[in-house]
Amino acid sequence: MPKLIRASGAAFRDEEDAFVTIEDDAPDPGGDIIVSLARYLAGSESLMARPSGRLGVRLEPEDEVETLEGRLSGVDLVALAFPKFRDGRPFTAARLLRTRLGFSGEIRAVGDVLRDQAGFMVRCGFDAFVPADGSTAAIWAEAAGRHSHVYQRAADARAPAFVERQGE
Amino acid sequence: MYRYDAIDRAVLADRTAEFRDQVRRRLAGELTEDQFKPLRLMNGLYLQLHAYMLRVAVPYGSLSPVQMRALADIARRFDRGYGHFTTRTNIQFNWVKLADAPDILDALAAVDLHAIQTSGNCIRNVTADPYAGAAADELEDPRVWCEAIRQWSSLHPEFSFLPRKFKIAVTASPHDRTAAKVHDIGLLLRRGRDGETGFEVIVGGGMGRTPYVGPTIRAYLPSNRLFSYLEAILRVYNRHGRRDNAYKARIKILVAALGAEAFAREVEAEWEKIGPEGDVPAAEIERIRDAFTTPDFSSDPSTGDFEARRAAEPAFARFVRNNVKAHIRPGYGIVDISLKGIGETPGDMSADQMDLVADLAERFGQGDIRSTHEQNLVLPHVRLEHVHEVWKALDAAGLATPNINLISDIIACPGLDYCALANARAICVAQDIARRFEAPDRAEAIGEFKIKISGCINACGHHHVGHIGILGVDKKGEEFYQLTLGGSGAEDAAVGKMLGPALPIDRVTDAVEAIVDAYLRERREGERFLDTLRRTGDAPFKEAVYAEAH
Amino acid sequence: MKALTANRLSDGEVVFWKNGVWVERLTDAEIFADDAGAGEAEVAARAQPTVVIDPYLIDLVDSAGFWAPVSYRERIRALGPTNHELHGKQAEGGGAVEALRQAHGAARSSGRVNLIRRK
Repeated sequence: MPKLIRASGAAFRDEEDAFVTIEDDAPDPGGDIIVSLARYLAGSESLMARPSGRLGVRLEPEDEVETLEGRLSGVDLVALAFPKFRDGRPFTAARLLRTRLGFSGEIRAVGDVLRDQAGFMVRCGFDAFVPADGSTAAIWAEAAGRHSHVYQRAADARAPAFVERQGE
Repeated sequence: MYRYDAIDRAVLADRTAEFRDQVRRRLAGELTEDQFKPLRLMNGLYLQLHAYMLRVAVPYGSLSPVQMRALADIARRFDRGYGHFTTRTNIQFNWVKLADAPDILDALAAVDLHAIQTSGNCIRNVTADPYAGAAADELEDPRVWCEAIRQWSSLHPEFSFLPRKFKIAVTASPHDRTAAKVHDIGLLLRRGRDGETGFEVIVGGGMGRTPYVGPTIRAYLPSNRLFSYLEAILRVYNRHGRRDNAYKARIKILVAALGAEAFAREVEAEWEKIGPEGDVPAAEIERIRDAFTTPDFSSDPSTGDFEARRAAEPAFARFVRNNVKAHIRPGYGIVDISLKGIGETPGDMSADQMDLVADLAERFGQGDIRSTHEQNLVLPHVRLEHVHEVWKALDAAGLATPNINLISDIIACPGLDYCALANARAICVAQDIARRFEAPDRAEAIGEFKIKISGCINACGHHHVGHIGILGVDKKGEEFYQLTLGGSGAEDAAVGKMLGPALPIDRVTDAVEAIVDAYLRERREGERFLDTLRRTGDAPFKEAVYAEAH
Repeated sequence: MKALTANRLSDGEVVFWKNGVWVERLTDAEIFADDAGAGEAEVAARAQPTVVIDPYLIDLVDSAGFWAPVSYRERIRALGPTNHELHGKQAEGGGAVEALRQAHGAARSSGRVNLIRRK
């Protein structure tokens, strides 16, 4: 199974990934699955009615995250794809999922995912990562914790500098 | 000058440590060049023709003497004794080694400087009016907003991988010295009807392959709502800007494709959703304002023998005429330092010259130095009684060329002499034109005249907004130059119009002179070149340049 | 005729291929008369990603008995910036540098192997 790094709070751990990503025309193998947004939208009722196993939806950068508004109740995981690590759209998608759509399930970064974006990803609300550079949870934790201060609000609970300064 | 606090310093230290680790991984082979390139660019490190080039941010063009001396020190220790001030008001070092880059960043961080986001598809260094805090025509000091934007945009978790680079300009003066209308966002500080301040918001200007003068998408934005509005603009752009073609990825293309009104509606809808939660609290803006050093202006400064010397020394009088501007305070002047010595490389400055300017700023200039997008420097607060001494010192160091805004005050990008993207050289063209118009009486008689030269279509030399723009192109391996007329980067912003077929390098200066001569023939009383051109159209100039060839 | 060039990873220096190693002067570079040899060298060079960045072939022409790159860009890389004659490789002077500086006539050529792709 592919390796996964999971964040909970400031802690990061390596995990085996229980989810299987399935193609749009492939049969449902049962268990924990990730489907495309199109497959989810087309068959959300039957997917919700699965007797067991968790459900994830995968969004490509061009997919509008608002499509999921009001349709997240049975969704355990949203996987946001980085076809190239330079594609910054999933950062916005994650932030809106957390702050605007109120999604509290897993937001997973998949695709060209490098440790150099760990801090940005965590701040935007990602809490699971399938790194493309072989990094481990320990490396990821170091990368995500690199900056002791931040200047702006995001989807995490970190106090930006202007709040820290008020406390002084 | 904004004074860093412990948090600002910690951010630089953390970022420098991160970059040191990235360089280590690259040298160890843990990162490929494809992976490393965007990472090094996020820290201003380019690979150019001869070496790496490090672009250091001069935040909104503001430098202290201590910082200027640190730049001089870096030029000596890590480069070849010089640096190059750019049209983004930054400074570039041309001969940097990759292995040295982390040490250079440490040396910069020691004086509160950095190279964060001087390249890459992120929010770049903000452009401010170089006369901020000194200009007689200013509403309030725009640098407070620039520093707030610097902080808000630094390592922004959502907006560090935009479709393309993103540049913001802020000015608080009706005379635009920032080229705000050809930035991705131009913010023009205005006084609202309620007496409060706000911004006119211009989005989608730009140069490059497809130049646009940006449209206004909001006539008045209350200043306390600036950051939620910026977030809305950036989010619309991050989501919808094109990513399939680098030449169509700037926000100007999105704004033009949607139309300014539709784009504005998208932004306003997003802004509504963000709400005041996206704003930086007023208390923080006030903290930033208070963290700026306040110049210690004398209430009744003596002008000493300023007027007497002006009357007695024609060379000094010429310098004052062209390089000293009206200050908001009586008895003070704004002194422009020309980095356009005749025959020199536009924007280049030696380490010794940097040290001298640092000394002068310390002794006579309230410790304040500015860099301009026209590749010059400014001492914004000099008592008139000291201007003569400053001039003498500058003159001895080759920094007192009295040519600000004149025909030899030419913008030129590094071009094919340094740049990996360039198609043709720009520096030697600028040098040749400057030599042709070296005679100062003639230059003054010609009056305001802005020549801007780019070595490729990316337009770092701002050729689109030059009164004469010169664009280097590659014709089958040879350097050719395309002339445009009528551009302006000021409040009357305009994109220049192509004059005719590109010229070989040895005909460019003659062509410029032919245009100037035609202008001198055509002009009416009080007309600048731009005014004459706008009245006559380009026919007389086309005739002057191309007639002989046919 | 062709030569193989790149920038060195550690310091960005312009370097040229010579039988498996990199040299700093064009006059010391290996000159390829045939495409096959040049292509083989390019493949070998690409296998050194921690030594050089992005190696590519350039076309050469004869100039006063020396080999000069066809394009201006490559001449400037081989010499240094034309606004600072004491910077870059040109600083050491000599016949080869002069020959490169004077090699104007052949510029009218499309001989920029691989350059378009690099941009």
